[in-house]
Amino acid sequence: MTAETFEPLDPVIHSPLRLAVLSILLSAKQADFGFLKKATEATDGNLSTHLAKLEDAGYIRVKKSFLDKKPLTTCHLTEKGRAAFIRYVKALESYLPPGTKKD
Amino acid sequence: MNDAQAREDIRIIKDMLDRTRRATSESGTLFIVWGVLITLALLGTWVLGLLKAYRWEWAVWVGVTVIGWVYSAFYGYRQDRKAAVTTYTQIAARHLYIACGAGFLLVGIALPRLGAYSYEAISILVSVVAGILFFVMGGLYEWPLLRVFGLVWWAGALGLVLVKGNDRILLYAVLFIVAYLLPICILRAKHKREQTRK
Repeated sequence: MTAETFEPLDPVIHSPLRLAVLSILLSAKQADFGFLKKATEATDGNLSTHLAKLEDAGYIRVKKSFLDKKPLTTCHLTEKGRAAFIRYVKALESYLPPGTKKD
Repeated sequence: MNDAQAREDIRIIKDMLDRTRRATSESGTLFIVWGVLITLALLGTWVLGLLKAYRWEWAVWVGVTVIGWVYSAFYGYRQDRKAAVTTYTQIAARHLYIACGAGFLLVGIALPRLGAYSYEAISILVSVVAGILFFVMGGLYEWPLLRVFGLVWWAGALGLVLVKGNDRILLYAVLFIVAYLLPICILRAKHKREQTRK
């Protein structure tokens, strides 16, 4: 395989934590901060930073509210984010040897 | 990016999808509540049959249906409030519950009351709707065994046609235990396993 056949990867998604967050939000209509933190095993600060990057890119929508007087941060995947994630996965396939793309 | 890094990205995607799926596996609580209510309704119908008070059977079914719907609405509201994550599978399952609940209400109470068919046909038609519920749930939660129970309900509906009178209630009770209570027990066990793996 030559370098020319590799698809460019979206730099916004090309980070393990941001990829993990988008993967969760792909199958979920919404997920709160606590769930994302537990699933990704990230720290509060690290997760907040990466969520802000995804939000700035327009890939996720972050909603802040209160539940039983406690702050609640809920994240949703946007259509732009969904399209970007699908493009990213397709691009990833170009880095795999032929015959392993369906693994 | 090389081949190994691409594989690592794919592993992350699969792992996160799996964690989300496990976190939202079906607990079977609503199945249990409806199971208990339907068992009570069957028992009530059988007692009314012994007392030859058939004209009050509809009241038993309306009673359990109203209780079931009120509890389901309350349960759904409470789950929504405390859910850390809501998947599209859960949303589809909730719509399926509502659709089948409406189906049970129509085929079990409204249509026979309106004279569309005899009360004897209720258990047959309810079995058809139950088959749809189990078969689609099996598809949504990727659990083939639940789809098999859907097929059992449909086979049961055909079997009920061959049995007449009070024996039909007896056969329906057997069908209920085999194709409803048994999958609930398996579903609960599976849910507990999923939760401990989290």
